[in-house]
Amino acid sequence: MTPPFALSGVDAVPEGHVGTCCRLPGVDEEAGVFFRLRAKVAWALCQTMFMTARLRLSLVVILSAMFWGSLFGIFVEAFTFLEALHAEVISLLFNAFFSSLMVMLVFSTGILLYGGMYCSPEARLLMTLPAREEAVFSHKFQEAMWFSSWGFVLLGSPMLVAYGVVRDSPWTYFVLLLPFMLAFVVIPATVGGICCMAMVAWLPKLRLHALSIALGAACVGAVWLAWTTLSTVRADSMSAAWFEQTFSRLAITEQKLFPSWWLSSGLIEAARSGANTSERLAALAEAVKFLALLIANGMLLQLVAGWLARRAYRLGFSQLSAEVPARRRRRIGWFDQMLVNAGPASGRPLRLLIVKDLRLFRRDISQWSQFVIFFGLLGLYFSNVRSFNYNNAYASMIGFLNLAVVGLILSTFTTRFVFPMISLEGRRFWILGLLPVHRDHIVWSKFLFSFLGGLFPCCGLVLLSDLMLGLSRQAILVHEICCVVLCMGLSGIAVGLGARMPDLREASPAKIASGFGGTLSLVISSLFIMVVVVAAALPTQLSLVSSALGTGGLGGILAWVGDGPGVMISLCFIVAVGLGATFLPLWLGLRSFRRLEP
Amino acid sequence: MIEFDHVTRTYGAKTAVADLSLAIPRGELFALLGPNGAGKTTTIKMLVGLLQPSRGAVRVSGFDIVRDPRDAHLHIGYVPDEPCLYDKLTGREFLWFIADMFGMPRHLAADRIAAEIEHFELAEFADDLAESYSLGMKQRLVFASSLLHSPDVLVLDEPMVGLDPRSVRIVKDLLAARTREGMTVFMSTHTLAMAEEMADRVGIMVRGQLRFLGTVAELREQMAIESTSLEQLYLELTSSRAGRRPEEP
Repeated sequence: MTPPFALSGVDAVPEGHVGTCCRLPGVDEEAGVFFRLRAKVAWALCQTMFMTARLRLSLVVILSAMFWGSLFGIFVEAFTFLEALHAEVISLLFNAFFSSLMVMLVFSTGILLYGGMYCSPEARLLMTLPAREEAVFSHKFQEAMWFSSWGFVLLGSPMLVAYGVVRDSPWTYFVLLLPFMLAFVVIPATVGGICCMAMVAWLPKLRLHALSIALGAACVGAVWLAWTTLSTVRADSMSAAWFEQTFSRLAITEQKLFPSWWLSSGLIEAARSGANTSERLAALAEAVKFLALLIANGMLLQLVAGWLARRAYRLGFSQLSAEVPARRRRRIGWFDQMLVNAGPASGRPLRLLIVKDLRLFRRDISQWSQFVIFFGLLGLYFSNVRSFNYNNAYASMIGFLNLAVVGLILSTFTTRFVFPMISLEGRRFWILGLLPVHRDHIVWSKFLFSFLGGLFPCCGLVLLSDLMLGLSRQAILVHEICCVVLCMGLSGIAVGLGARMPDLREASPAKIASGFGGTLSLVISSLFIMVVVVAAALPTQLSLVSSALGTGGLGGILAWVGDGPGVMISLCFIVAVGLGATFLPLWLGLRSFRRLEP
Repeated sequence: MIEFDHVTRTYGAKTAVADLSLAIPRGELFALLGPNGAGKTTTIKMLVGLLQPSRGAVRVSGFDIVRDPRDAHLHIGYVPDEPCLYDKLTGREFLWFIADMFGMPRHLAADRIAAEIEHFELAEFADDLAESYSLGMKQRLVFASSLLHSPDVLVLDEPMVGLDPRSVRIVKDLLAARTREGMTVFMSTHTLAMAEEMADRVGIMVRGQLRFLGTVAELREQMAIESTSLEQLYLELTSSRAGRRPEEP
């Protein structure tokens, strides 16, 4: 059939000048182009970070080093204990750790690849260039694998180095560590990539459901394992029976077809320090065999992924581009309406701003899902703390540590989500700037939103923790007061510094939060939490020390300090620090925001 | 040079482009017009391989964009409505990346990059990171990158967005010169004055269907309207009477 608008004499044969100046690059050439691209981007990123984010960089390096060192110390102690008593359980622990990591890597790489290969502007650019589909996959895969597995290196390396040190392993073990880790992560990461491409191309309708079901099943499995492990043997926790039962549950991870088993077996063989050279060589050969098994499987999966990319990537990209987001009509909720109408008319603009932020929060799945996950996990942990049957001194200390954990989690939220709010508002300043709203109301609305939003879940969690630990009413009251102060102070720091140091050019809240202001907010928040928790814990701890020392001399002084007067002084100090942490940054922020010229 | 052969694209139950058949020969500047949601962007996405047709075929320089995407892309330069660059690459590094992706020999790439930097007046900021560029600077860089390999077909989606008047003049002159040399330009635009000034032929899409294809003079003739501006003709064609069946030119 002739197209109705076809012109006679349309060029049937390609005729142009392309052939004279370009050609399809070869596989190696293309890989080289992408390698150079990644190298240049990484180099520019490092340079920018070094020039503009020295505080963040220094903090990341110092805290990572401290984290690594602490983990190394803990693992050395743990492996020394296990080596002496239960050497046979190390294999089981390795398998449990690596297999759970394997599942997490499948999901995290799959999700990262979905974002990188199908939803990013870069993918749209690459799809319009004469690039091989497998080359684009490989390029995005390396990026996704790096992002999903750096945590494994940070968490896994101190454990594995400590194991080698405790077992007095030969130097070859330490040399083989990195190749083992890299060869291992390629396998689950590639499986994640394969699943991602297959689901997007062939299960477009089922994609969300399939992912939800798989994630839901993984979460249910993890929660079930944690719950049964912690709850069934409450009476004799930490006993031999408890260990036996727990290990029998974890034995499910010791499957010889799992790459996690190849990794743990290879590492254990590599760490073996035989009595003589032939034994050592035999162990090394066995380890290399497992490494080869990991590499071979990783390469095979990469071939499969490349083959799949050629067939499924463009198809999936097209299908995803063709999806029209479902229109969702939103109505004003009764809660929002109630909030708007509650209180005097003079406060209505403030309440309207809070309701607007509340709606944005509810409709942004990335915000509330993280909130639910982190606080949900804390809730799960707190509801199980009783299983460990702590004595009074431990229970009191753990109560304060739990309070600190709640504060730290809240500080990550205030830094990540509350700190960028003013900056993001600044980008829409033409809307708010034209409304009959005082600028101060904008800052105060953010503060109240953050404070009230954090107050109820945090106080609830602290109460749960204290009740499960069986703490006294007085201790619960102290913790709750501290929690209110923490919520108030952390909100004040995030909102105040956010208004003092806004980044009006940046549209991404993640980038705003990771800038200098966000990092400073996180550091000050951490210091504030430390001061509050230490000040609150001091009287209780002194009281416990005094009971050990007796009533005379130093013991008597400590008892007085740790008793009523000491608690009152510490509470007054905490409230004063909290008010300072709240109103000083807010004052600075308000002053700066009034003068802001967007 | 460009062929849409009975192309249909659906989004679920909605038909974004319905049975589009269109051929654009070498050296023609074609402007696709239409109101929002008419199917222009879908048509362009199918032309550059971002979207596969539900039915029919799209060919560029004889290569089917679905079956031979890489060969087809070798002949296409594309300027999207939202320029995409690597924030952490400089303009010059970005141009080198594009040149390498098209397999251009080093010496030729160096000459072309220098020429395009001069054409689009990029020299002042070519060695700065792209994250510091304004929208207009980004758009000029994307123009330069799309022309680097001397494509047979240049696809432009709202090309003048963000460009200052001087840059608009540069682009217009360049398009006129390149089409004279044989390059085919497929442009989607809302700027009717530009279409009227530059296009050899215009196509007007309404609700996924090509309502008109031809020169502006032919459109006047067909609409039997005395008016002289393309704007009036366009409004007439896309307004209340737009529900009519597509008419043969």
